[in-house]
Amino acid sequence: MKALIDWLDERAGLRKLMDEALNEPIPGGARLRYVFGSVLMFLFMQQVVLGILLASYYSPSATDAWASTEYLNDQVTAGWFLRGLHHHGSSAMVVVTALHFLQTVIAGAYRRPRELNWLTGMAMGGLVLGFALTGYLLPWDQKGYWATQVATGIMGSVPGGEPLRVLLQGGTEYGNLTLTRFYALHVFVLPIGLAALLGIHLTLFRKHGVTPPMLPPEELERKTQRFFPSQLLWDIIAMAITSAVLVLLTFSTHGADLYAPAQPASNFVARPEWYFLTLFQLLKYFEGPLQLIATVIIPGAVTTFLVLLPWIDRAGSRKVGERMPVLVGVALLMSGVVTLTSLAMVEDANNQKFQKSLAAAHVEADRARELAKIGVLPTGGDAVFDNDPQVGARKLFKESCENCHTLGGSGGEEAPNLTDYKSREWLSGVIRNPHDKRFFGGTKTHKEMEPYPASALPDDKLKAVVEYLTSLIGPEAGQVDAALVDKGKKLFADDLDCNTCHEVKPGETGDGPNLSGDGSKAWIIRVLHDSAAEDLFGKSAGMPKFGKKLTDEEMKQLSELIAAQRGAKGT
Amino acid sequence: MSDSHDKNRAAHGVPPGEDTRRDFIKTVGIGGIGLGLGAVAGGPAIAFVAYPIFNATVSGSGGFVKVGKSDSFKAGTPVKVDLFADKRDAWNRIVKVKVGSAWVLREGDKLTAYSSVCPHLGCAVDFDTDDTKFKCPCHHSVFDLTGKVEGGPAPRAMDVLELEEKDGAVSVRYQRFRQGIADKETV
Repeated sequence: MKALIDWLDERAGLRKLMDEALNEPIPGGARLRYVFGSVLMFLFMQQVVLGILLASYYSPSATDAWASTEYLNDQVTAGWFLRGLHHHGSSAMVVVTALHFLQTVIAGAYRRPRELNWLTGMAMGGLVLGFALTGYLLPWDQKGYWATQVATGIMGSVPGGEPLRVLLQGGTEYGNLTLTRFYALHVFVLPIGLAALLGIHLTLFRKHGVTPPMLPPEELERKTQRFFPSQLLWDIIAMAITSAVLVLLTFSTHGADLYAPAQPASNFVARPEWYFLTLFQLLKYFEGPLQLIATVIIPGAVTTFLVLLPWIDRAGSRKVGERMPVLVGVALLMSGVVTLTSLAMVEDANNQKFQKSLAAAHVEADRARELAKIGVLPTGGDAVFDNDPQVGARKLFKESCENCHTLGGSGGEEAPNLTDYKSREWLSGVIRNPHDKRFFGGTKTHKEMEPYPASALPDDKLKAVVEYLTSLIGPEAGQVDAALVDKGKKLFADDLDCNTCHEVKPGETGDGPNLSGDGSKAWIIRVLHDSAAEDLFGKSAGMPKFGKKLTDEEMKQLSELIAAQRGAKGT
Repeated sequence: MSDSHDKNRAAHGVPPGEDTRRDFIKTVGIGGIGLGLGAVAGGPAIAFVAYPIFNATVSGSGGFVKVGKSDSFKAGTPVKVDLFADKRDAWNRIVKVKVGSAWVLREGDKLTAYSSVCPHLGCAVDFDTDDTKFKCPCHHSVFDLTGKVEGGPAPRAMDVLELEEKDGAVSVRYQRFRQGIADKETV
């Protein structure tokens, strides 16, 4: 071992390097309050390692980003944990940066001759926020997409900012280039920038040493300890606490959020990460041309104040009592940040509409992530919804049926509206008024059936007939009230003479459609094939034959979609 | 602490506030916590990176793929057919992509399908109609009509794929096999 160290020492000056790295004297001794810088370094290194791990699965393109994030988060072993650590790690960096900042301000460590430490520190603080901003978009989920839209939108609204915005997002709209650019910034530019600044910051720190407590020089001398092991022990304990908090946070949230894939055509109530809520809240108070106050003037003034702090502070010494103006200024600033952040949180917590849409977003996210388990079509994260047969069927419906039929709010009125189709409510409606536009009123041919108003068919009897018709659907109808069915059957055959037109035995033909199985999936498929069959709508059928246009699978999907309408209202 | 003790420490470059006797305990503490910190992300990281070793990340359907009608394969001349299947590629699901191709050969009533992937290093094997041999263009392996190696570096015969005939339609199950070894092992 000694021989190896000698060998390395002769070639690399190992002993001197180790001596410089570890034996730095700390006047006044090791202290807990010196840990923040080291914790930040630990967090940065952990973020780098986690980032590299995530990059080994993540794909920065508009079509792949969401699906690859879903894959690494939900399918790859431990992915949720590592991504969660990376996500919460960025919050931890912001918190510890703030603590480091406050400690520096309180100790007066920004003062001469440490102005350059201060400036590099401020620059690194800016980069930490840059990491957060660029990283937020990368999953290409609804939240990241829409929150980042706000950020780049602000950039574009600043005078002269539009070309910068286009440059940053790689075009006038979001797309592949937005992701590749944000990715390049997040994983190359910002880390290299931060590492370079960190190198300068540390070299300067080693040059000037810690800013010790205000004690007589002899006492500081007497209490001097070395970085290793005394201060490093404090540092590593603080790192362990930070790490424990991160792990707990990651477990309690089961990692980081992943919302549904970005859908540029949708709207989503965007919220930035919590540490940007100050700026978010500030925006609410300034409208129109005044917006510039919230986006540029206030943040710019605050940044200028902080950057120039070493020169603003004219106090004779770094005694707290002599630096009151500066300390009060920073304290006001911090309370402003806390107040605005709390206001933003409270407003959201009390905003029913926001809470509702947030809950809906979570439901959609869960569904998208469940559907992604079988793989996402390469056309984009959004294509995950095509995995849902209902979604595929809706698309089919849109292509083949919507010209005449309405479903869920959109479509034509030339054929019956299929929303809630063959539910008890729908059946009641069609008996009461078959010529309503909702039923057969829009068709050219189905005019024969007489309406049954309440005078001819009171509500209680109608209910029985509807129950009987529901039972005719077959086993798919679910629970039916047997007594009501019996009553309805008698009314159908005797009092109302429905059976003069409608047969109920399979295959028999009458003037109206045979009602056996009417509304079941098999029946819907038969109608799709050929609605003019003798026992269906016969000669009066106006619907095209889809038997040749659609595949069996497609008709099956459509039949499932339409049959599911019956249960849509829980009838 | 005695004066002589302090002088002794100063001579060894130990700062006055340091208690050398505690150094060892502190160092052990640093090492222990440091290892723990590394393990927090380190353990999961290994499982994360190694995921593809224990889980399929890219796969075809593994099922039978229709390749044509029985009577389209004439005796004596192998026919190259493309095999389409649904494919999984990590997060992507790709519908009906060409996953590979096969040579289908008729001998009397019997149809045989050979994977077109050379068992040597995976190039696509061609059929030379002039001397009715399968030939690999990369490293010049030669196979006869039964797939047997007649020359070149191929370590085994061409891989036979499972074939199914039903109602006049021919289906082949597409599989890939490990290359460069004498035994036929599925990947």
